[in-house]
Amino acid sequence: MSDYLFIQSQDPFTEVRCAAQYRLARQLREAGHQVAVLLVQNGVVPARRDARDGAFDTLIASGVAVSADGFSLKQREIEASDLKADVAVGDVGDAIDALLAGAKVIWN
Amino acid sequence: MNNPKTLTFAFMDPPFESERTVTFFRLLDAALERGASLRVFAYEGAVALAFARQSPHGNAVHGRDAAEEDHPLTREWIRALQEKAAAKTLSFEWINCGLCVDERGVNEVIDGCGRGGPPDLWRYASDAFNTLTIGTR
Amino acid sequence: MKVLQVIDQAFRTTVEEQDDTILWLTRSMRGAGGDLQVLLSGHGVHYAVLSQRQPPLELGNWKQSQPAELLRDLTDLTESGVPIFVVREDLEERGLANLPLQAGVELVSQTGLVDLYQQADQIWQW
Repeated sequence: MSDYLFIQSQDPFTEVRCAAQYRLARQLREAGHQVAVLLVQNGVVPARRDARDGAFDTLIASGVAVSADGFSLKQREIEASDLKADVAVGDVGDAIDALLAGAKVIWN
Repeated sequence: MNNPKTLTFAFMDPPFESERTVTFFRLLDAALERGASLRVFAYEGAVALAFARQSPHGNAVHGRDAAEEDHPLTREWIRALQEKAAAKTLSFEWINCGLCVDERGVNEVIDGCGRGGPPDLWRYASDAFNTLTIGTR
Repeated sequence: MKVLQVIDQAFRTTVEEQDDTILWLTRSMRGAGGDLQVLLSGHGVHYAVLSQRQPPLELGNWKQSQPAELLRDLTDLTESGVPIFVVREDLEERGLANLPLQAGVELVSQTGLVDLYQQADQIWQW
């Protein structure tokens, strides 16, 4: 079993590849790996409670740990209370922790 | 994976073009904060991040002269990280892809940034505990 | 250390660099002893079905003399011991599934990516 962290800068409203990226994260989780996704930049946008993207909602329902970079949230004036359930506030430092823990950290 | 506290980063974006640049520098800062030594391989447009002749400018639309505008420059961000690393007695190495430098004419780089090629990225990655690559779009 | 190089984009700077910069990077690191694999996904799958050299660019009286030879670059990689994989579903959704794959390129399914990612020590997404 491996630990994976995807740093998700792409968002589904601009990048159709997001659906495949979310799917791969889910598939790795279903295969028994620890998988986390850290949303950064415009990647945080689908995490807003009223944002509508089915692929993202499927991702957060899958058990993959999803967090959103606090700086990116502040830029977009998204408060923690504005986030969908199961999306935590995180930080790019979480990606460093994952690297230092030996996780496979992948930029999307 | 030799050094448990050394991380390698490869980055491709030029300054003043992408939000990725800010995230990349924040990652470097966070890594130093956690006590990790850093090795950076700047590829393609990213070689201009360390260009020594970047100049701050005033901004008439903002109604500020150059001093007041205090425009961010990536060469100063690199310098700040070099100083942070030194203060923490951590190493901070930066290699620009030499061919990428030549084709862009950004040969003058700030102190502490060197010139190399893809074998250096492989060496960096092989010696580090872990590596993150950030491509461009 | 085995690294999987993920090329998800194509034709990014193939005209002015006269190659794909990540294929080039991979070849160079392979020469330095790197244990590398390449995954062509997204638009990157186009490289697996190309059959000709890239078209030369002409601008005014300037004409490109050495356009990219991606077919050759992929062949050089496989012959140097770098396995190249291409995602079947990404070929299919782009209407490329019926074209012949370049020799040496292996098909992998979307679900097969899990194993491909797992067998590599690091995943370098470009």
